[in-house]
Amino acid sequence: MSVRLREALREAAAEVPAYPVHERAVRTARRTRRRMAAAVAAVLVLVALVPVAVRGDGPRGIAPAGAGGPALPDRIGLPGFGALHATDRPRLGPASVVFSGQARGLTGLIDEDGTVGIVAADADRYRTWTVGHEAPAGEQVLLSPDGRRIAVPAGTSEHPRVDLVDLVGGTVRRLPSPRSGSTLTEPAGWAPDGGALVVRDTTPANPEGSAYVNTLSLVRLDTGRAVRLLETDQVPVFGTPVAFTADGSRLAYQVGDKVLVAGTDGQSITSFPLPPESGLAGKGAWLPDGSLALVSRDPDTTRWRLRRVDPASGRDLGVLALPAVDGVTTIRLLGWWPDGSALVVGYRPDPDSPERFDRPVDMDQRTVYPNVQTVRVLGLTPGAAAPNTLLTAPDQVLAIDVADAVVRAGRVRAADPPFGLGGRFWWAAGVVALVLGGLLARRLLRRGRALGVTRGHAPRG
Amino acid sequence: MSETFHEFVVQRSPALSRTAYLLTGDHQHAEDLLQSALARTYRHWRRIRDGDPEAYVRRVMYHQQVSWWRRRRVAERLDATPVERGGGDHTENTALRLSVVAALRRLTARQRAVVVLRYYEDLTETQVAEVLGCSVGTVKRHGHDAVRRLRDLVPDLWERTPERSGR
Repeated sequence: MSVRLREALREAAAEVPAYPVHERAVRTARRTRRRMAAAVAAVLVLVALVPVAVRGDGPRGIAPAGAGGPALPDRIGLPGFGALHATDRPRLGPASVVFSGQARGLTGLIDEDGTVGIVAADADRYRTWTVGHEAPAGEQVLLSPDGRRIAVPAGTSEHPRVDLVDLVGGTVRRLPSPRSGSTLTEPAGWAPDGGALVVRDTTPANPEGSAYVNTLSLVRLDTGRAVRLLETDQVPVFGTPVAFTADGSRLAYQVGDKVLVAGTDGQSITSFPLPPESGLAGKGAWLPDGSLALVSRDPDTTRWRLRRVDPASGRDLGVLALPAVDGVTTIRLLGWWPDGSALVVGYRPDPDSPERFDRPVDMDQRTVYPNVQTVRVLGLTPGAAAPNTLLTAPDQVLAIDVADAVVRAGRVRAADPPFGLGGRFWWAAGVVALVLGGLLARRLLRRGRALGVTRGHAPRG
Repeated sequence: MSETFHEFVVQRSPALSRTAYLLTGDHQHAEDLLQSALARTYRHWRRIRDGDPEAYVRRVMYHQQVSWWRRRRVAERLDATPVERGGGDHTENTALRLSVVAALRRLTARQRAVVVLRYYEDLTETQVAEVLGCSVGTVKRHGHDAVRRLRDLVPDLWERTPERSGR
C-alpha cells in the first residue's frame, strides 16, 4: 500500500506549479512587522505614561487641595527611593511637617547628603529636598508658618546663602548672606507673617580663620533689607531657637546661656541669664500672657518640663501645669494648640550614645544626631497625667519641624505614609522604557531596510 | 554561506509548493499556506538563514495547516463515503492520483500531515513526531487512522498491491 500511496502522492505533487507567493509573502511580513512595532510602541508608551499618571505622586495619588485643611499626621514614613523633589510637578502645596535624620532615604548612599522629608498639609504626599550636608529640621531647615516654603542653608563657603523653596509654586529663591565675608548662612526663624527671616552667619574673624564671629540678622523678604540683631564671638549656642511674639513685633533668641529679647528693628529690649539645665523652649516660647517658656530638666533625671519666666527680668514664674516628658534628651516647644495644649518635640536618646542625659549636657549636644534615636511630637495637655503622643516617626528620624498653621489648626489625622518606589523612579522608568522602545523601533526599521536591500540585490530566478 | 531570502524562495518554492498542495489538497489554500509560512520565515530570516530554512518553512506549514483546519473543520466533511473514482479520459494512474488527492481532503489536517511526512517526505515516525511537535505515539495513531480512512476512501490502493507499512 505504501508504495502505491507514495507513487500517488508524488504523481499528485509533480503537476503542482511553483506558487508565485514571494512578493505577497514579503508584503505580508512587512505589514505584520509594522503592526508589531506599532503594538510594541503603544505598549511602551503605556508603560511610560501609566506609571507617571498613576504613580507619579505616589501610590495614593493627589488628594483634593485643601481637603480637610492642614493637620498633623499621626505618623510619618521614610521617603521612597526616587521620591519626588520639593519643586517637582505635581506641586506639593503647603506642608505640615519637615523632618530629617539618618534613616534610609534621608542620607546619601555613601556619605551624608542631608535630605529633608516633606509631608503635605492635608494628605500623605511626600517630597524631598537635599541640602547636601547634615541640617536638622527645626534648627537649620525651617518650615514657614503657613507651610508654603522651607528655608534651607545653601551655597558655598565663598557664597553662602539661604534657599527659600516654594512648595506651592515650585520655585527656589536664593537669599544671599547679609553678612559680608560670611562662610555659612543658616535660617534661624520665620517671622509669624512669613515676611521676614532671621538668619545666622558664621564669619572668620581673621584671615587665618582661627576665630569666628556669629551674626544674627533679620532679613525682610520683600525688600531684601537686613537688620543686624547681634554679633558676638562664636559660641556653641547662637540664635537657636528664635521665637517671635504672635504680632511679630519682638523676638527672643538664645545665645550661650542667655536669652535676649529684641525688636524687629534690631533694638535690644532685654536679656536675662538662663538657669542651669534649661533653655529657651522653642519657636513657640512666647505665651499668650506675654511670658516666655523655658524647657528645664528635673535634677538627676531625663524628665523635662516647661516653665514660665518673666521676659523682662528672667524671673522664674514656676512650672506650667502640664505633664512632664520623661525619657528624653530634651524637648522643644513648637507652639500651642487651640485647647491650650503645648505641642513639643521629644528627642528619644540613642542607647548607643556615650552621653548620660540625666547628667548635665550642653543644650546643643542634646539634639545632635548621634545622641538621638528618634523623635516624637507630643501634646502636653493641661491637667493630663502624661504626654499624649501625636506623631511617631521611624527610628533615625532625628529632627522635625511643624508648620505654625498646623499647630494652630489643632488637628491630627490618621496617616498612611506611602511606601515603595517614588515618583522620580517611575518617571525615570518611563523615560528608559521610551528610550528602549525607540532603540528597538530603530533596530527593527534598520533590519527591515537591510532585508529590503538584500532582496533588491538578489538575482531573480 | 547564507543565501538571500529571495534566492531561497526561488530555489525552494517548487518543492514547497508541492508539499503545500498535498497538505491542503487545494491550490488556493496551498498558495495561502505557503505565503503565510514564507511571510513568517521572512520575519525571522536573519535568525534562521544560516540553519535549515526549508525545514523551518515546512514546520510552519504543517502547524499552520493544523491550526487553520481547527478553525475550518466545522465546515469540513468527514464522511467515509468512497471518493468518486477519477475517470473519464484519464489513465488508470491519473485516476488513482485524483482519487488519492480527493481522499486526502477527507482526512484531518494532522492525519494529512502525517501521511505527507511519512509517504511523501519519507520521514520516519520519530522525525514526523519532531516536526509536528508531538509524541511518536500520536504519530502512530494519526498514521493508523489516516491509512484506515484512505483504505475506505480509495480501495484501489489496496486492491492492486496489498502490503504493509514497513514501520
